[in-house]
Amino acid sequence: MPLIELHSLSKVYDDTAFPVHAVKKINLQIEKGEFTAIVGPSGSGKTTLLNLIGGLDKPTEGSVSIEGVDISTLKSSELTNFRLHHIGFVFQAYNLIPVFTARENVEFIMLLQNVSKAEREKRAIELLEAVGLGDRINSRPSQLSGGQQQRVAVARALASRPNFVLADEPTANLDSSAAESLLDMMAQLNKDYEMTFVFSTHDPRVIQRARRVVILQDGAVISDA
Amino acid sequence: MIASLAWKNVWRNKKRSLIIIFATALGLWGSLLAGAIWMGWGESMVNTAIARDLSHIQIHRKGYFQNKEVENYIPNGFNILGELSRIPGIKAVSGRTLVEGMAASPTSTFGVKIVGIVPSQAKKVTDIYNRLTAGNYFAGGGRNPIVIGKKLADRLGLKLHSKIVLSFQGFGSSLNYAAFRIIGIYKTDSSIFDQSNVFVRQSDLFRILGHTPVIHEIAIRVQSSQIMPQVYNIVQEKYTHLDVQTWEEIAPEVAFTSAAMESFTYIFIGIILFALLFGITNTMLMAVMERVRELGVLIAVGMTKGKVFTMILLETIILSITGGVAGIVIGGLTISYFSRTGIDLSALASSMETFGTSTSLRPFLPLDMYIALPVMIIITAIFSAVLPAWKAINIQPSAAIRTY
Ligand SMILES: Nc1ncnc2c1ncn2[C@@H]1O[C@H](COP(=O)(O)OP(=O)(O)OP(=O)(O)O)[C@@H](O)[C@H]1O
Ligand SMILES: [Mg+2]
Repeated sequence: MPLIELHSLSKVYDDTAFPVHAVKKINLQIEKGEFTAIVGPSGSGKTTLLNLIGGLDKPTEGSVSIEGVDISTLKSSELTNFRLHHIGFVFQAYNLIPVFTARENVEFIMLLQNVSKAEREKRAIELLEAVGLGDRINSRPSQLSGGQQQRVAVARALASRPNFVLADEPTANLDSSAAESLLDMMAQLNKDYEMTFVFSTHDPRVIQRARRVVILQDGAVISDA
Repeated sequence: MIASLAWKNVWRNKKRSLIIIFATALGLWGSLLAGAIWMGWGESMVNTAIARDLSHIQIHRKGYFQNKEVENYIPNGFNILGELSRIPGIKAVSGRTLVEGMAASPTSTFGVKIVGIVPSQAKKVTDIYNRLTAGNYFAGGGRNPIVIGKKLADRLGLKLHSKIVLSFQGFGSSLNYAAFRIIGIYKTDSSIFDQSNVFVRQSDLFRILGHTPVIHEIAIRVQSSQIMPQVYNIVQEKYTHLDVQTWEEIAPEVAFTSAAMESFTYIFIGIILFALLFGITNTMLMAVMERVRELGVLIAVGMTKGKVFTMILLETIILSITGGVAGIVIGGLTISYFSRTGIDLSALASSMETFGTSTSLRPFLPLDMYIALPVMIIITAIFSAVLPAWKAINIQPSAAIRTY
């Protein structure tokens, strides 16, 4: 069974003057341990696709199954819980709670999962060391660079022990060296922890590092290699 | 950790939070002080009335209030007086002979209640002796001395040492006339009382009546108002054949006014809190609105609606309680300061005395109000939080996170 299975997935935004077909009948399977980039020009539907996979939006048609569970059948509260336990999220920016330190940000998601305090602290420090921020665990987001903030976000995404991590343009706000090192780090985590990553980007340098590249255009997959 | 997050969130916009905290503190401080002044005023009214003539507990013959004839005296009154003075908790007792009559001066007459007392006894129960504007309280000898109120003296056009003629029904249906010499003029806080009560010595009264002394009313002062209910029970059980009443039963209007002060205070605080509710709601709405993106991220990563709601609720409670506690503390300190020094109302004295209260006021708040208040504030906070928290839990994460 594939980890993620999209079946004839479509999304139409019809609250606008003209309905926008943002995602058109996409069929896609992602296996455990993959490191997949969703690539495409601006407006091609990357964010929409990731939001559908992550259960942040409801498809107009088709289905998203994660480990065999059709998430469109879940009630809103079940879906929130599903996201908490099965999916790690990294967004383009402003991922973190500004009043919390790096460690508290990573711990918070485990608190939501009712992980014990000792375990929370242990895992948070471990993960922050794994993303190369062992010496910044008590820094607030405002005291960290953009790249460092994204690393904390990755650490948080992993802290909940999800089945996979969804990252929507995680490098978009970073300069190229920070972007490359974030990607290297994600690739390393993919290897070390066998963590599945699905991320979107339109940065060609980033694409080189992906092992599978799915190219979107106008809401449809035009290449998958 | 959610609580710690809520606490930190409150201080993200220090200025805005401090403004609402300051407003809450100020509102509570003001309403507490106003309430304490009202309650102090009510209390002072009660104390004044108790000290003037009410005392704590009164005993009459059953049916005395329906028929105030001289014959309706308390059987064995003087024995009872002696027994009462030995009951623990009772500070002082005074037997009063009450006779309805007329007071006449060369120019006019006026209906009065003639109160026959034993001055040394009466002094321990009432403070009329302390309220003389002229003369003394049965200090000198002399024949038929009388102490009357200033209001009555003015009405009758009498002065200290003037002669006043009292006429009253005696035993049987005899009518008695006697001349008294004014040796003291008192002025209490109640002009109604002052114009209708005159005090004479029991011994003089019964010499004129030609009868062995009797009493119609026993006034009891207890050691402290807290033990009044116990003392009342003891006295009532002992003298079931008599009418034993607390001051609250005798003067329900005084008791009611004093109780109403507490209700006023609660209503006033309620109004202030209601006004603050809008301010707090507004502050929290702003706090939610400027954090839509962050809240969207939290919901996206798996924070449930329940937890988001709890967090906003906690933030609101922290915000309100901080101001509330500050207001209560400052209010409590102000009240305790004024309760020690008293607030001088002598400037308002002339308008106050018709209400029967003294001119120096000691504001106070009952202890249970200090307990009820934080509860009221938390309830206000909960109501204030509903709308902002509702907005927060209905944030669509996909829309909130999108950066166009
Ligand atoms: N909430 C919405 N309402 C209406 N139209 C929307 C909404 N969100 C996205 N769209 C439209 O859907 C299409 C796909 O948008 P989407 O954000 O998924 O593209 P994207 O590939 O992520 O673009 P970018 O690279 O700029 O982030 C676009 O035409 C966009 O304008
Ligand atoms: Mg996008």
